[in-house]
Amino acid sequence: MKLTIDGKTVSAREGETILDCALRHDISIPHLCTHSALPPFGACRLCLVEIEGMRGYPTSCTTPAEDGMVVRTDTEALGGLRRNILSLIMLEHPSACLVCAKRELCDQYRPEAEKAGRTTGCHTCNNKEICDVRVMAEEFGLSELPVPPIYHERPVERSNPFIDRDLNLCILCGRCVRICRHHQEMTAIDFIGRGSKTRIGEAFGRSPYEAGCQFCGACVDVCPTGSLCDRYAKWRGRPERRTATTCLFCNAACALELQSSGGELIGAKAVDETTPICVLGRFAIPEFLYGAGRLRVPVVRADGSLRETQWKEAIEAAAEKLRPYVGSGFALVCDTTSTLQDRYIFRKFAREVMRSENFVEIEPDARGASRVELPPGTKAALLTGDFVDAGQLEPLELLIVQDCYPTPASEHADIVLPVALFPEVDGTLMDVSGRERPLRKACEPPGQARPEWWIVAEIAKAMGAEGFAYDSVATISREVGKSTAELLTERDEAPPAATDVKRRRAYFRGHRIDEKVPGLRELPLDDAPASARRVGVEAESAGGFRIVQKREVAPNIHEIVIEAPGIAKKAQPGQFVIVMVDETSERAPYTLSDWDAEEGTITLVVLEVGHSSRKLTVLREGDRVAHLAGPLGIPAEVDRLGTVVVAGGCYGIGAIIPIARAMREAGNRVIGIVEARSHYLHYFGQKLEAICDELIQTAIDGSMPTKGHAADVIGEKLRAGEKVDRVVVIGCPFMMMLVARETQPFRVKTLAALNSIMLDGTGMCGACRVSVGGKTKFACVDGPFFDAHLIDWDELFTRRRAYAAHEVRAVGRTESVALHACEAHGAGAAR
Amino acid sequence: MSSLREAYRKAQAEWQKIENSEVPLFLVGAATCGRAAGSGEVLEALRSELDARSVEARVIEVGCLGLCSFEPTVVVRKDSAATVCYGNVGPDRIVGILENFVMGDDPCAEWALGKMSPGELDGIGDFYDHPMLRRQVRNVLQNCGLIDPENPYHYLAREGYRGLLRALELGPDRVLEEVKASGLRGRGGAGFPTWQKWEACRNAPGEPKYLICNADEGDPGAFMNRSLIEGDPHAVLEGMLIAAFTLGASQGYIYCRAEYPLALHRLEVAIGQMRDLGLLGQDIEGSGFSFDLTIKKGAGAFVCGEETALIASIEGLRGMPRPRPPYPAVSGLRGKPTVIQNVETLGNLPLILRRGPEWFSQYGSESSKGTKTFALAGKINRTGLIEVTMGITLKDIVYDVGGGIPGGKALKAVQTGGPSGGCIPAEKMDMPVDYESLREAGSMMGSGGMIVLDEDTCAVDMAKYFLSFTQEESCGKCAPCRVGTRAMLSILERIAAGEGEMADLDRLGEMARTVKDASLCGLGQTAPNPVLTTLRYFRKEYEEHIEKRQCGAFVCNRLLRYNIDADRCSGCGACVRACPVDAISGERKKAHVIDQETCVQCGACLTACPDIYAAVYRRSGELVRYEERREKAEKAI
Repeated sequence: MKLTIDGKTVSAREGETILDCALRHDISIPHLCTHSALPPFGACRLCLVEIEGMRGYPTSCTTPAEDGMVVRTDTEALGGLRRNILSLIMLEHPSACLVCAKRELCDQYRPEAEKAGRTTGCHTCNNKEICDVRVMAEEFGLSELPVPPIYHERPVERSNPFIDRDLNLCILCGRCVRICRHHQEMTAIDFIGRGSKTRIGEAFGRSPYEAGCQFCGACVDVCPTGSLCDRYAKWRGRPERRTATTCLFCNAACALELQSSGGELIGAKAVDETTPICVLGRFAIPEFLYGAGRLRVPVVRADGSLRETQWKEAIEAAAEKLRPYVGSGFALVCDTTSTLQDRYIFRKFAREVMRSENFVEIEPDARGASRVELPPGTKAALLTGDFVDAGQLEPLELLIVQDCYPTPASEHADIVLPVALFPEVDGTLMDVSGRERPLRKACEPPGQARPEWWIVAEIAKAMGAEGFAYDSVATISREVGKSTAELLTERDEAPPAATDVKRRRAYFRGHRIDEKVPGLRELPLDDAPASARRVGVEAESAGGFRIVQKREVAPNIHEIVIEAPGIAKKAQPGQFVIVMVDETSERAPYTLSDWDAEEGTITLVVLEVGHSSRKLTVLREGDRVAHLAGPLGIPAEVDRLGTVVVAGGCYGIGAIIPIARAMREAGNRVIGIVEARSHYLHYFGQKLEAICDELIQTAIDGSMPTKGHAADVIGEKLRAGEKVDRVVVIGCPFMMMLVARETQPFRVKTLAALNSIMLDGTGMCGACRVSVGGKTKFACVDGPFFDAHLIDWDELFTRRRAYAAHEVRAVGRTESVALHACEAHGAGAAR
Repeated sequence: MSSLREAYRKAQAEWQKIENSEVPLFLVGAATCGRAAGSGEVLEALRSELDARSVEARVIEVGCLGLCSFEPTVVVRKDSAATVCYGNVGPDRIVGILENFVMGDDPCAEWALGKMSPGELDGIGDFYDHPMLRRQVRNVLQNCGLIDPENPYHYLAREGYRGLLRALELGPDRVLEEVKASGLRGRGGAGFPTWQKWEACRNAPGEPKYLICNADEGDPGAFMNRSLIEGDPHAVLEGMLIAAFTLGASQGYIYCRAEYPLALHRLEVAIGQMRDLGLLGQDIEGSGFSFDLTIKKGAGAFVCGEETALIASIEGLRGMPRPRPPYPAVSGLRGKPTVIQNVETLGNLPLILRRGPEWFSQYGSESSKGTKTFALAGKINRTGLIEVTMGITLKDIVYDVGGGIPGGKALKAVQTGGPSGGCIPAEKMDMPVDYESLREAGSMMGSGGMIVLDEDTCAVDMAKYFLSFTQEESCGKCAPCRVGTRAMLSILERIAAGEGEMADLDRLGEMARTVKDASLCGLGQTAPNPVLTTLRYFRKEYEEHIEKRQCGAFVCNRLLRYNIDADRCSGCGACVRACPVDAISGERKKAHVIDQETCVQCGACLTACPDIYAAVYRRSGELVRYEERREKAEKAI
């Protein structure tokens, strides 16, 4: 079958669509809803083409290629049409960053997205680094939108224990719905509602679990936007490394692509897109690896207590303590979740070094539980997991445990050795059908954890045994005569747990998996009792500071009124407070947006932008924050200066209010200039209008009468010769830097508030160190206001990035905890 | 075979009882429209009066004659020499008719629409000479309002199922030829030649083949299909049998919206009767042709009238269209060859088979054969369900059939094709109504909605109305339709609020073309038509909204300014009390003033101002409008 595409004669396969045929011949046609693992859908309409003899513009993804067809993919009409379609798609997708004139500069100064609650632009999108839509919009050079964008103002849905759903980003390509139908032969999710109210969701408001979700995560994998994301991996960006390996949670041996950055595991997905994997493989691995309490350091009992030590010492201690049991009373117990190479070494060690026949290898049951009784007469044992009842361990003379998490056995043990787990090692395992499957190291083990074979071989060597000089798994494999195993990349049907989450394994080497992976506790098992759900501690009703009022004034921006009479009495414009939501919270600074000495309240405008602010914004009226310190910082200098511009962005729109008011009261002409990404992110317009002599609200995406940044407006005014005597600016560092760049040539004194870089607020931590005019200052005690022309912005941005990785990790680990705080009403304040 | 022959004999007898009834006969129009107009009360009054007076009579609930503005209608047959159709019959009138006509000698000419019996009757004109009916050709609707839709013998007596019998005689190939020769095109909207669809389905591999009757009539203000099913369900079902026989389809579905309970009931009754008569099931009439029918209720989604969405809905999926090709004729319901026909198309088939293709094609224009039913509504004197030959001019429909515009207002435009169609301006009223002409004018035939607009209609407001409908009814699957309709609506709202700019008109046009060219299904592809046609024919109006902030029709609220004529205001304070936002001030007995900043243009003051003063008037841009009642007030003084 031959056809002509853009003048090029190409051959098509039987049943192939025009799009597939074109892509196969390196002819690119834009497309979004099409996905290689799914049948065509024809929803995004971007892949329209012209075909001679056919009227209109058929979609190439649904039109089968036919012999003799003459197809054009790149006419002017098509280009215009596609551009218009994409701009329509962008009306329903936070698009401000795509049409922003400062996009390149923004990417340079702040490459990482802010970890906001709801996404309102690329810069608050978890998908920023890996977004198809963004790339496409850039290719089309989209720079303006025909009408103001539509923000659906939908809350981020977190009812799925592993997946966050932000429908504000959804372009309704239907990939998730289709893969669910395709993979699970069901529809846990579908399109709901009609017209512009159409959205993706579970029918009748059911929870994902009730709707039949099996948590295979295929929907997340095919989502072209950041709407659906793996909560744990959410802010990790593009993984540095991808490793194809095998899942070891059960012997179905699914092939997984493990993703890691900086040696740390971020996420996992199925290698084979056509069959689903289970919740453990898709979502549980990173949390299981990095759960609280993971054993990282060898420990040896001395004088009755366990003491951290070095490997050398631990190995020597083990060798010495084992020596008396050579040939008498030694048992080694492992299960088949250790690799074939590990188990070969275990057996060799038991038989050849310890001269014991008591090598016990347990085949875990359908739930993954491995329990066994020690062979009679055992006096010394080496256990690789929690396999034996505590009662049996009591009488032992020597107990060595090598494991990943503490257990009753390890509490009891004389020596505890931390092991690397399957994503952290190479090796081979045996699947349910008796085929060998490869394990490949995808990330670094935490702390000093080591592969199991290495530990036992080291002990053997320390005991003077010959034949344990292995330097890698490969050397063991050669000795065992193992050929290379192949990944299970194609299978006829999905493993049982992938289509019925109740059939998943509950244990791994004796450890409850859901103790490390909290989300699993929301998915009950039929026959295994659920482990106790952590219950939040009740708030002490009298302690802390009560939240009197709280509302979200714009997406992610919360106005919070807190009872704090002491602070309200003393507050001055430009000052801030430090909030600790609970006893263990990070200290976080927030500028005072208002206060009422009579009522004894203060008002904060909080941008939900990461771990600490989320902890604060999930609280409700009546909840309490544990600590509140303030007013802090040197108040803004207020004088009669003439014309003063107060500029604000994000939380700064709320934070400039006291300064604007004070400047006005001091007799200045006050021009308020506030910026937001889009029209729906503006707030406090009326309040500001009442205070300012002139108020200009700008939208970066052109959805308000004034387009652009606050800096653009200030620059324009100055260039037009308007006399400005002072500029005070509060917003993100990027916004303040832009303003500074505009005012500098005109030598208009510009003060910027550096609250957003602070951490402890006492001058002790040093996080807010900043160079101003070549001198080192600390924003929290010397500021918050500094001369914006003297601030070393480049250094400031570099320093800010230093904590990015920590923040990402904190958000990833605690996002679900913050959610629980929200659910268990009142518990958040005390935890 | 025997059962049907027997049925025909019985039918003759039944019909004789109607034709030569020895007792008076009352045919009460009791379709949904008649019931809404009060035919229930009429029936009740009639029955109790007959009882009270011990008059023996036969009362039959029939379908609709299509005379909406004259509902409820009752045909009273006193005897073979005196049969009269009455309009606007309320409980009082029916008693009057009973007393004066049936029991007396006065045929109540003042209430009569026309007589249906031959001979002279007190100067009452012939029913079919009534101005609303004179220009109509009632073929498809021939039985509606004249037979008992729940009595199969009535249908049989009027040649019912003779078309099927002839089809079975001819065999599928020749039936296809006849349908081809007739020139019948789909009545659902696009006007695709019926025979072509059938041929494609017959040639497509795959068994079984399916036939679907699309009775998901969703256009606002359209009720052609409902009336036909309610008044003559067997006509549609016979059409289905003929189509299914020709296609070799063994299973049929009727997809009818649940909002049509009476139509669904009539279909259920009729299907039961077909089974009794051996017209469904195995080996129908000994022909070897087997066919069965299932009714599927739709939940009232406009998009489910689109054939692929309709198929998805029958399959139990969400009603969302899929791209074509493959066309349903090749791969439709459950992936099998499927033909979907509109109710009216099916209703035409028995007639074509009975009377021959030449009879059918004598009606209509060169390209569009036969007749077409329309639901005539809007600013017109005689609203109703009409059937006219294709090619008739719009002018003839509006002025002859419809009796022109009420209140002496000027005609502005006619909207055909419902929300998918476009408006055709007054100056194009000489245009013939056929598929091609309507498409050329930027509209479409559609399934038959026809809304007449007078000078008080604002073009911007009308486009806004239809778009608000389509944007809510879009299934949400494809971006151009889902977002495009909403974006267009937002521009229209901006213009209607006086916040538009001239560049909006280009934006609107560009967006409309994108939605038209890029949408997945017919809903999206036609949704911009109201915008495109109003932009084409009434661009000046748009410009006035933008540049002069003026709505010439005084419809767009935000462009109106309410004022008080100081010379006329007596300071009575009625408007002050009525104003919900306290925008009106003034001392008692002194002229009042409306604060334009505060006013929300609700019009409460206009209504509240007593007729004797009529001091409140409106401005829009350069225009000033004094209400009619003011003129009256002036005259009165």
